[in-house]
Order: sequence, then C-alpha cells, then structure tokens
Amino acid sequence: MAQIPNLENAPLNLKSIRDKSQKELVNLLKDIRGTKCLVIDPKLSGSFSLIIQTSTLKELGLELRHLSAEPVQTECTKVVYLVRSQLSFMKFIASHIQSDISKAIQRDYYVYFVPRRSVACEKILEQEKVHNLVTVKEFPLYMVPLDEDVISFELDLSEKDCLVDGDVSSLWHVAKAIHELEFSFGVISKVRAKGKASVRVADILNRMQVEEPVNSNDVGRPEVDTLILLDREVDMVTPMCSQLTYEGLIDEFLHISNGAVEVDSSVMGVQQEGKKMKVPLNSSDKLFKETRDLNFEVVVQVLRQKATTMKEDYTEINSTQTVSELKDFVKKLNSLPEMSRHIHLAQHLTTFTSKQSFLSQLDMEQTLVEAESYDICFEYIEEMIHKQEPLTNVLRLLVLFSVTNSGLPKKQFDYIRTELLHSYGFEHVVTLNNLEKAGLLKKQEFKSNWLTVKRTLKLIVEDTDTSRHDDIAYVYSGYAPLSIRLIQQAIHSGWRPMEDILKLLPGPHLETKRSGFPSSPSVDSLHGASNGVVDGRRSIVLVVFIGGVTFAEISALRYLASKEGMAYDLIIATTKIVNGATLIETFMEKLG
Amino acid sequence: MTNVSVAAEWQLLYDRYYRKPEIYQMRWKHVDLSRNKVACASFGGPIAVIRDDSKIVQLYAESALRKLRIFNSAGLLHSETIWKHPGGRLIGMSWSDDQTLICIVQDGTIYRYNIHAELIEPNMSMGKECDEQNVVECVFWGNGVVCLTEGGQLFCISDFDTMKPSKLPDVPGLTEDDMLQPTCLAVREPKYTMSGTVEVLVAVGDEIFGVEEDSVQTFRVDEPNVNDSDVQNDDYVNLIGPVQKMIVSPNGKFLTLFTHDGRIVVVEMETKQIAIDYSCESALPPQQMAWCGMDTVLLYWDEDLTMVGPLGDPVHYFYDEPVILIPECDGVRILSNTSLEFLQRVPDSTESIFRIGSTSPAALLYDALDHFDRRSAKADENLRLIRSSLSEAVESCIDAAGHEFDVTRQRALLRAASYGQAFCSNFQRERVQETCRTLRVLNAVRDPDIGIPLSIRQYKLLTPVVLISRLINSNHHLLALRISEYLDMNKEVVIMHWACAKITASPSTPDAHLLEVLLDKLQLCRGISYAAVATHADNCGRRKLAAMLVEHEPRSTKQVPLLLSIGEEDTALVKATESGDTDLIYLVIFHIWQKRPPLEFFAMIQGRVLARDLFVAYARCHKHEFLKDFFLSTGQIHEVAFLLWKESWDMGKNPMASKGSPLYGPRIKLIEKARNLFSQTKEHTFESKAAEEHAKLLKIQHELEVSTKQAIFVDSSINDTIRTCIVLGNNRAAIKVKTEFKVSDKRWYFLKAFALATIKDWAALEKFSKEKRPPMGFRPFVEACIDADEKAEALKYIPKLSDLVERGEAYARIGMAKEAADAAAQANDGGELLERFRKTFSQNAIFDTLKMPFQGAS
Repeated sequence: MAQIPNLENAPLNLKSIRDKSQKELVNLLKDIRGTKCLVIDPKLSGSFSLIIQTSTLKELGLELRHLSAEPVQTECTKVVYLVRSQLSFMKFIASHIQSDISKAIQRDYYVYFVPRRSVACEKILEQEKVHNLVTVKEFPLYMVPLDEDVISFELDLSEKDCLVDGDVSSLWHVAKAIHELEFSFGVISKVRAKGKASVRVADILNRMQVEEPVNSNDVGRPEVDTLILLDREVDMVTPMCSQLTYEGLIDEFLHISNGAVEVDSSVMGVQQEGKKMKVPLNSSDKLFKETRDLNFEVVVQVLRQKATTMKEDYTEINSTQTVSELKDFVKKLNSLPEMSRHIHLAQHLTTFTSKQSFLSQLDMEQTLVEAESYDICFEYIEEMIHKQEPLTNVLRLLVLFSVTNSGLPKKQFDYIRTELLHSYGFEHVVTLNNLEKAGLLKKQEFKSNWLTVKRTLKLIVEDTDTSRHDDIAYVYSGYAPLSIRLIQQAIHSGWRPMEDILKLLPGPHLETKRSGFPSSPSVDSLHGASNGVVDGRRSIVLVVFIGGVTFAEISALRYLASKEGMAYDLIIATTKIVNGATLIETFMEKLG
Repeated sequence: MTNVSVAAEWQLLYDRYYRKPEIYQMRWKHVDLSRNKVACASFGGPIAVIRDDSKIVQLYAESALRKLRIFNSAGLLHSETIWKHPGGRLIGMSWSDDQTLICIVQDGTIYRYNIHAELIEPNMSMGKECDEQNVVECVFWGNGVVCLTEGGQLFCISDFDTMKPSKLPDVPGLTEDDMLQPTCLAVREPKYTMSGTVEVLVAVGDEIFGVEEDSVQTFRVDEPNVNDSDVQNDDYVNLIGPVQKMIVSPNGKFLTLFTHDGRIVVVEMETKQIAIDYSCESALPPQQMAWCGMDTVLLYWDEDLTMVGPLGDPVHYFYDEPVILIPECDGVRILSNTSLEFLQRVPDSTESIFRIGSTSPAALLYDALDHFDRRSAKADENLRLIRSSLSEAVESCIDAAGHEFDVTRQRALLRAASYGQAFCSNFQRERVQETCRTLRVLNAVRDPDIGIPLSIRQYKLLTPVVLISRLINSNHHLLALRISEYLDMNKEVVIMHWACAKITASPSTPDAHLLEVLLDKLQLCRGISYAAVATHADNCGRRKLAAMLVEHEPRSTKQVPLLLSIGEEDTALVKATESGDTDLIYLVIFHIWQKRPPLEFFAMIQGRVLARDLFVAYARCHKHEFLKDFFLSTGQIHEVAFLLWKESWDMGKNPMASKGSPLYGPRIKLIEKARNLFSQTKEHTFESKAAEEHAKLLKIQHELEVSTKQAIFVDSSINDTIRTCIVLGNNRAAIKVKTEFKVSDKRWYFLKAFALATIKDWAALEKFSKEKRPPMGFRPFVEACIDADEKAEALKYIPKLSDLVERGEAYARIGMAKEAADAAAQANDGGELLERFRKTFSQNAIFDTLKMPFQGAS
C-alpha cells in the first residue's frame, strides 16, 4: 500500500489538485537540463511523499539530498534547492555556495521557493553576496491532500508564528490556498469565522477575490457551499487532551507523519533486528478506514470479532467441498495483511494505554476539563516535574490547566515556573516566555468562564458508551471537543443563536455572504440550497482549522458528516495535523 | 449602375486586369513632392515631408526654415517641427515598422521622431567610422537600415529596437585604391535570408555582390539560353551589368534589375534564373522602381509610369505631376501632389463579377439583384441558372465587397450576397457578418480625417491589434475604443494609452479634476492597472496625482511597489499591512530600512505592530546587534536582556570556547547584564531572578568541574547538577546546591531517590528512606524502584504507602494482580479501580490469542 493516498472517492476532486502540483514540480525540474542534485528541506520532502513517488523524482536524473548546514557533497554541476521560504535555510544555502567558491568549485545554483519567493529570504542571499549566483523560481505548492477529506497547508509553525512572533504570513498562505480551491471549485458563498486569525483570513480572501477574481463562468456551479474558519486559539483545550480514537492514539504514541507511521519492524511481527518500517495509514486501507475514527476500545473489539470469524473460516476450510467456497475463502484471505497489520499496531498501542502514567494522565485531563479539582491537578503536575517526566507532557497538562482555569494564581505561577527551570534547565525560559506570550500559560487575572462554556455547549456527556456512540464525545471518552461543538452549531444554524457563548471565547467572529456569480444572483432561492442537496450531490462544507487539528477532531467531524439528517459532506483543511505534544513542541525554544 | 462602367476603368496587362482607383484628394496645399524628401509608411501609414536640401531654395517662394511635417495618407497635417539638426545633409528618411521616423544625416547621426514629430531621445549614431566617412546612401527595410559611406564601406543596423550599428565586410573594388563607385544598392530583409541576417546587394562595375554579416559573394545570374554557346556562364553578368537600379520583391524571392542598356531583368534569387527580361524604350534609369504586390514591376520616369508584367506589353500611365510609389503587400499606392491612388491587380472575385460579358455565377447573382430591385422576373431566372453554384457566387460577392474601397459598391455587393444567401441553405452565414464587420472598421479608418487607406488584405496582414495600437499612437483613442468594443477586443490597451496621453497633454489641469476625468474612463475597463497609469503620472512629475490614482489600484502587489517609488512610504506600509501579504510588508520594511537613518526607521515601524513583528523576526535571524538597538530605542529592555542571555548560551555552544574556562567569566557577565536589564522593569522580576540563579549555577558548576576535574556540569539544570553530585557520591556538594537554590524537600526526595535508583545503590536508598520520616511519604521510593524496574526493591516501600488506592495501583504496576485487587477492595471507591484492573489485565491477553493465526502474514 502506498503512502500516497488514493483520492478516487473524495467529495471534491482533490486528485486534480495533486496531479497539478505533481506536474508543476516535474516540469520545474525538467526545465533544468542534465543531471542535477536536488536539495530539499527535510519537512518539505515529507510533504512531497504525499504528492510524488521518490522513484518518479529519481527518473528525472536527480540526486536527492536533504538540506542541512553541511555543504552538499555531489559531483553534479547543477544544484537545485527546493525549500520553503524560511530565513534560516538561506544561511545554509549561502554557506554552501561560499564553501564551493572557496574550494573553486563552479556550479549552477537554483533556489526554488515553496510556495513562493520571499523578499526577506532573497535579502539574506543578497547580503551574503550570493544572490547573483542563483536562479530564483517558485513552486506554488499551497496545499497537500492528506486523504479523501483532509487537506493540509503544511504550515507547521503557524500557531506559534501568529501567537508568539506576530508573524501572520501563514494567514495569507491559508487565504491563498482557499482562493486556489475557489479557482477549481467555485466561489464559496457563505463564510463563518471565529477567532482573530480566521476573521483575518476571511478578510484577505475577500481582498483576493477583488484583486484576482474567480471567474464564475470558468468554474461553473460552486461545489463548496460554506466555509467555516476556526482558530486553534479558540479551543486549546481539545488538543491538550489525549485522543482516544484509534488514529488519534497512534498519533499520540507513535506520531503519524505525512500519512504514515514509523515503527520498529519487530512491532509489526517482522523479525529484522533494529530496523524501522513505515506503515502507511490512509483510507486506501479498508480496515483502517473502518476503524480509524472509532474509540480504541471499540477497535479492539472489532478486531477481535473479525479475527474470530476468520479463525472459524480457517478451521472450516478443511471441510470445504466446492470451488466457489474456496474462492470465497481466498477472497477473505485478501484482507489478511490488513488484519495482521492492525492487530500488531493495536497491540503495540495497548502497551502504552495500559500504563499507569497514561491512565492517571487521562484522569487529570478529565478532572481539568470537568473543572473539578484544580489542587489535585496542580500537585500532580508538580510531581511530574519532580520526577522529570518529559517536558512536553508536563507543559501539555500545565497548558490545559491554565486554559481551563484562565491562568494560574500568581504564587503558583511563579512557583511552577521556577520548579520547571530548576528541573529542566534555565534555557527553557524562552519556552515559558513563548507560552506566556501566546496566552497558554499565564497568571490568572480574572475568573475562568470555562464552566459556562462547558455547560452551555454540553461538552461533558455523561455515560457515553464508547461502542454505541450517539455523540461526538466518544472521541475523548466523554468530552465533546469544543471546536467540533462550535462547528456543529455553525453548520446547523450559523453563529447568531450562540453569540453569547462566542463572546466568551477568544477572538472576534464573523458571518458573511460572498458573491462570486453575478450572472445568477439567486441560486439560493432557485435551488432551495438550504437542504444542501443539489442534483443528487451533497453540498460541501469546508472546515478550516488555523493552527492545526487533531485526528480525534477529524474523526468527530467524520462522525457528524455520517450522521443521519446531515445535508453536507465535510472537507477538513488545516495548517497542520497536530496533537498536544507537537503543538507544544512548536512553542519550545531553547536559549541554547 | 452598370457593370460596364466598373470594368471600363481597368487596364489589361496580358491577361490580367489592373485598376487604379483614386482613394483621396490630397488635403494638403502647396506641397510639391519634387522639391521635398518624402517618406511614406506602408499599410496606409503617415507621410513625412521635408524640403530636400540638395535642391536650390527658391527665394521668397518658400520659407528658409526647414520644417519636418507629418501628414496622414489623406494629406491632413498631423504634426510638424522645425528641423535644425547639425550633421550635414539628410541622406535617408524612412518609417520603421512601429511607425518611428528614422532620419539619417551625412555624418551618420540618426534622429528619431514619433508620429507627433517629437524627437525621441537619445539620438543614435551609425558609429564613429561612419562619421569620418560621410554617409552617401541609405537603404531601409521595416526594422533596419544599411548605409553606404563615401569610402565604400557598408554599415548596418539590423534592429531598430536595439539600435546597435555594425560594420559589414568590405566589398571588393569599393575600398581599394581604384575606388569604383557602386551604382546601386538593395537589401534583402533578414527574415528572408538563409542566415537570418540582412543581405546587401551592391552593384559595382559589372558585378553584383551579396554582402552578409560575415561573407561577400558574387551574385551570378544563370544563363537562360543554353543554346547560346558563345557566351560563358560566368560572363552573363557582364552581359547584364553594369546595373543601374535594383530592388528586391516584397517576399524576398526576386530581384529586379535595370541594366545599363535599358532592360528590366527579374531574377529568382535562390535559383538565379531569369523570370522576366524586357527591354524598355529608354536606357535612362527610372527615378523610381517598385513591385506591385507580387504581380508586376513599376518603373517611373518623369511623367511616365510603366508597368511591366511577365508577359505581354507593358501598361503606361501618364502623370503631369511628380509621383511617389508606395509599395504595399497587394499593390502600390501612387502619391502625387493632388491625389492618392491605389494600383492593384483586380481581385479574381471582382473580375468575375464585373468583367465585361462575364457569365460567372457571381456576375449573374449580382445581375439578379439588379433585376430584383427593378422587380423584374429575370431575377428568378438568373437564380435558377446558377442554382448549383450559388454558394460559390455568394462567396465571390462577399469577397469582392471586401476588396472595394467604394462604399456604395460594397453595399451593392453585400446585398447581392445576402440576396443569394437566402436561397442557399448550407452557406456559412457568419461570412457576411464578418465581412460587414471588417468593412465597417476599414471604412472608419479610411475616412480622410483618420487617413489610413488599408485594403482588406493589408488589414488582415497588419492585424486589428496593430491597427488599434497605430490608432492610439496617433491619438485616435475614441475610434480605437469603438473598434475594440466592436470587435470584442480588450479595451485595456486603449484606455490605458488614453489615460497616459491625457496626463501628458494636461499639465495645467488641477490634479483633482484630472483624476475625475481619468477615473471616469478607467472604470470602463475592469482589471485595468491603475498602478501603470499612476507610474506614468509620476514620470510626468505629477506625484500627487500618482498617489491619488494608485489609491484605486486593487492589486496590492502592484500598488505597494509604486507607492514606494513615489515616496509614499507610510501609505505603502498601510496598504501592505491591509493586504495581509507579509512579503509586501517586508518589501516596504527593507525599502525604508535602506533609505532612513535607524532611529527614524525604528520610530516608523514601532507603531505598526505587524511590520514591527516581521522586522523582529527577520532581525532575530540575521541582525542581532541591530535588533538590540531597536529594542533599546523603543524601550523594550527585557527583549534586549533575552538577546544577551541567548548570546551567553551561544558562547557556551561555541566549541572554541568550551575548552578554556576563562570564557565562563564573560558568559556569566552577559547573564548578569541581562539580569540587570530584567530588573529594570516590574514585569520581569521572575526572569531577573532566574537569570540571577542561572549565573550562580554556572559559577557553582564551574567550581564543581574544577574540583571534580570532570567537564560534565556546565549547562545542565539544577536538578541534573544535584543528581550528578549524588551519582558521583558527592553528597555534600549535592546538599550544597540544594541549599543554595532552596530546593524543596518534595523535589529533593524524588531527586535523590531516582538518582540512587539509577546507580542501583539500594542500600543508600534504604538508608535515605530511614533518615527521617519522608515528608510526603514513600511515593518517591516506590516510583524510583518501579521506574528502575526493580520489583523486589519496590516491594520494600509499597506496603508503606498510606493511600490504599495508590498502593493498589503500585501493586498493579509491578504485575501483582492479587495484591492489587486486595488493596483495591479495601480502597472502598465503589469498585471502580477493580474494574479498571480487570480491563488492563484482560486486554493484553486478547492479543496473544488473536495473533496466532496471523504470524508472519504482514
């Protein structure tokens, strides 16, 4: 099974977007004749694994390298840098070129920026006096389809850049990506946004429509009906909780990157000493498609059930008489590798889920979300620090604490920070500063309104039977993600009925209508678009998370989309798939 | 209206008819072509007239001042200017393809004028060598020129866009001592030659040389008559030459020669074969020679214009005034003092309709309409006759209409076509509409006020786009706009040009008023670049107007750079920020950064949050010192402190520094400096304290390294330092660090228990547990043992845990289910804990049973 997802069944033609990117990349590289050395920044090469096979790149006569501070070792006389426009990369490139010059090696250099060239980056090349030696071009890759219903803008640092550094470049990028989608699928008429960044994106998107209008005649009837934009900042509670869906848990413990997880081969039952193997995880795997969104407890049951049936089939084969029965059996055998894969993965996961520390962590999360006893939690966190448990775990819980409690009392705040610095080192003072700037870890200044939010939006659902779920709360075993509750409302009724609650959450909100088709102003009334179903196809709601989304939240949205009475297909777009740990990590910055 | 009258004006040359309708009565007065140098542009372009300075000035009859005047083809004065250039006589003057008038004077200087008789700066030159030798003759083509000097050298500009002169190889005989004079020159345009560079044909003495960029070849003509054995091939040129005049055909394939003995010889240039050889009555070379399309050659002597075709007797036309021949792709325009005529071969369709006695279907159709108009039944009869070839007849009528200059005749022919079309089911109806549309455009531009007498073939060759650009160049914006609209073309070019021209032409109109006028028109065209108009306004010195215009530009990527270039930095920054495009903001930042002194720059961005943050992000990566200045100047002292603190770490990371201890001094100094800065603000007491502690820690770590002679302390945390001390068995040092930093007992117990567990010093651990009653119970000991995976040791402490739930969990973690259950049962929490244990224990078992049949299947 390939890491590149099969997109045949996507509600939007995402394949065309991927194909276009693929073609553009190949053409860009083909434009440079002869053999060349392609130096990619590592993150980008991860994204590329979802667009193009490495073998395809190799066929173009490329030597592949990852960008690092080390000079490029190659015989090629042409070096192509394919990098995101990050300032730090420019120093690497400049130093490579300078090193070549000092060794009197003559090469042609090409710097291809993804997704576009940047004045600041080129300025650095200029100041390092190498700008005139390089050919600068751009590869406009604004998004990567992760699966049939998920798009990633591959902006890892978006949340930190916006909240800490005030660098909102990613917002322009997000707007641009959505605008690109509009060029393919028509202008999205309804926009609902919550959060500072989201409202800004909606604004930039409108500007783009003025500057570079999507011609409605070129694209036909808009396929996407509604755009919902949500800042991660609005709901920092959810990602800090441990995800309990199958896919979510895999991500928490094994970290899924670019639609695959890397594990020791022994985990998968392949006896190869110390070797890692990549397991692709996308909806091309039917069993995974069936189980990814389920609560892990249920997954174990499902797997058991399937395995038992299979075992029975296996024993029955001895008494099999007819060819057709044999055929059926062989057909069933086809699902064997999938079964085996997931049984191995699931078992590997239970080694984590059964750990006491995980269970107590869940306990603490639950306590915090329910806003029951902050003192117990504070002590728990304190002990974590004393035991020097991984800093990300500590910070994750601490952030959850601070966000639900709207900060820590001054004394506790200073105490816990001192303990952190003493335990983990003074270099983490920047991390703490970053979290404070982002408002994730702060001194309490006023009373928290989390209780009101929790109650009004029914975030805690008692007695959820994880197997027979009738609410999105199953993804966190009882806690319904705030983000998804908001989206649920936004889809059904828009913001208006819930303005009071929205005001309690960070950032402004906005609800507008845009027109992209002056030729037929009354499409709404003509087709009665309120039920969302037009010529047998469901309309699409594009949900965009600015600052990242978790797998559990995606699962919850899929659950919403599959519910009876739902008139829309959902496509989820995000700056990046995150979990509590990866999100915290973006804020971690050491002095040293 | 009768057909006869039409054909009566035609002349027959062998089997082909030619016609020469008058297009304009020239509007000009007192222009005597014979006394002037005249340059006429092809495709019905403008006419430039200037007094010929090689002729004697008639006193009182004409002004002593030389004027360059530019007329349209109908003789309407378009513009004029006084000519007072140095450099000697005007040798050559011609219009280039883009309608720039190129004038070359004796010393090789080139003056260029646009159609408004405005000099285009800078003046160019044919080069220094040319200057020394004096230009005697120039031959132009659409986009280049070749000059011959007195010294017999050839210079060439092969592209008027780049204007780079180059010298061509010397022609044998010309530059040598015997100094022959070339009798005539001709050029073959680069687009027709094999090499892609211009080929100059020079007739010298008996020979013709073909000169290209890097070669000179003799041009020989093939022997037409093989039987004539007396004459050798090589000598044939001698038989022809010396040549007195020559020209190249419009398609570059044929060369026409007028020989010394009065013969016209047309040679195919590739095969060198003779196509026409005709002896004229006069051996005097004609004053002008021109190709009429690709059909015939025209020769002009005073009062006599002779047209020579491949076969048959030539046709003679007589003129009692001087004329100028203007070759076009499909004929020749004949300009005289009083009129402009167009000489062309009668198109086949026209001929088939109007030839006397023609019975072609088209002629019958045309006739049928005539009958129809007169309500004669003959119309029907005619139609019946041509039923089978009706569509062909319609087609001919349409085609003929297209070729007509006379509007009434166009109308008649088109009516005939549409009359026929009505009986013709399978005809492409768009053809009539298309021709109508084209004719409307042609008639509009043929109007004497516009004066562009294009034929339909010229129009198609020129393309509507170029026609429009010519119209706007000569300021016929309204017509250009109408045509653009009519032909459904992009109006942007026209409106843009108009706006720019309007700005140039209205230097005294107040900005606000002019803006209003401009906006009124610019709004006609969506997506037009306001920035481009604004740039023009700025170039015209109207910065304020530019600023007002750029306000209307919707595309910030165009707007912002322009705002910068007109010095509106503040607005640029605002606009860039509004756009959300951080790249644009960076553009503005760098611009201001470069232009302004640092303090001014700081003040400017300090107020703009986004710009400031972006600057900081950039400077953090690249300009540390400058960033410090910025923070200092804006009073963000704590940020400076962070930077200093960071520097101290960088110093530690430097491999050169870590070796010698003296660097710890400077590192600590930096941190202390940071601490001082932190302490200046109330909000950063925490950081200030942390920095203080950090400095202290570094000192202690340094001492420890000295005393233990092991470089393992520096840059580890307080906890790690204590742990290392314990691991090294240096309890005293550990206690010292503990007290120094007021480490709480809670932390201390965990720390020490874990440290002892890592080195598996169980005895010491037990001793530690008994030192005094642990302030928060035995949890640290249990945790440390379980963490080290040492069940036996853990069991020593688990029973001492006071909390039953905790105790149960501890048992469960080391896998003692029974004890766990016992503790849980005592815990009295409603069996919740028990349930959980059951689950964990059972789940592990599931997978073992499941996996069996699938081993190795993945």
